[in-house]
Amino acid sequence: MNETQTQTKEKTALDVPWNVVVHNDPVNLMSYVAMVFRRVFGFSKEKAEQHMLEVHHKGRSVVWSGGRERAELYVQQLHGFLLLATLERSE
Amino acid sequence: MNIERDQNGGFVFSEVEQPIAEMFLSIPSALEPDGNRAAHARLFPDPAGGKDEKISQEWADYVVPELREGFENAAVTVEGDLGSLIAGEALTIPLAHVDAWLNALNQARLVLAARFEVTEEDMNNPEPFDSQNEREMAISQIHVFGLLQECLIQGLGEGLV
Repeated sequence: MNETQTQTKEKTALDVPWNVVVHNDPVNLMSYVAMVFRRVFGFSKEKAEQHMLEVHHKGRSVVWSGGRERAELYVQQLHGFLLLATLERSE
Repeated sequence: MNIERDQNGGFVFSEVEQPIAEMFLSIPSALEPDGNRAAHARLFPDPAGGKDEKISQEWADYVVPELREGFENAAVTVEGDLGSLIAGEALTIPLAHVDAWLNALNQARLVLAARFEVTEEDMNNPEPFDSQNEREMAISQIHVFGLLQECLIQGLGEGLV
């Protein structure tokens, strides 16, 4: 593989967006989850509740997508609020 | 129990009935995972969901200690505020401490749920609990701590639409 191909491959891997995913758990209050979404992502009440309900009914919700570093920061904040959150490479 | 707001926006819980006071006073001990692996895993979940060892290891090395410190600070704040209740006085949660309370109450609820393997079905069971049964007592603690959380969230004006 030549240098240009290697650089292109690395750039493509770095450019792949990462998803911040919040998963359901039976304990966290719905109001608490919505509050955390508003605080961490600055969502409106309505948007926060949409994501909260998606977590509740579908078991998970992608709450943010973008660069890895920022995604990690958001997951850290969500873990600080004790939400079950993971990082996933966007498909 | 009466719930009022003080002039600085803090929450004052007065005339707290003995069983509820005992529940509140049990928060610090409920925070302890007691070596339970499931409880520890729930407080510090793997951000990669087991799919990327490098991310998981870096997280354990650099992020978990920070999270642990934040959780411990919240616990210390709550324990301090509970001092008035131990003295038989009203429990006051200053506005600046509300986030610490929300955090510690959540820690306690998650630790209890993990330790006693509480399911969604348990959480929705309307049957009265048996105070002699340790697991049922844990579920009732989870509910009482949840009510207190809900009260604080509503009081902050951050409840659901």
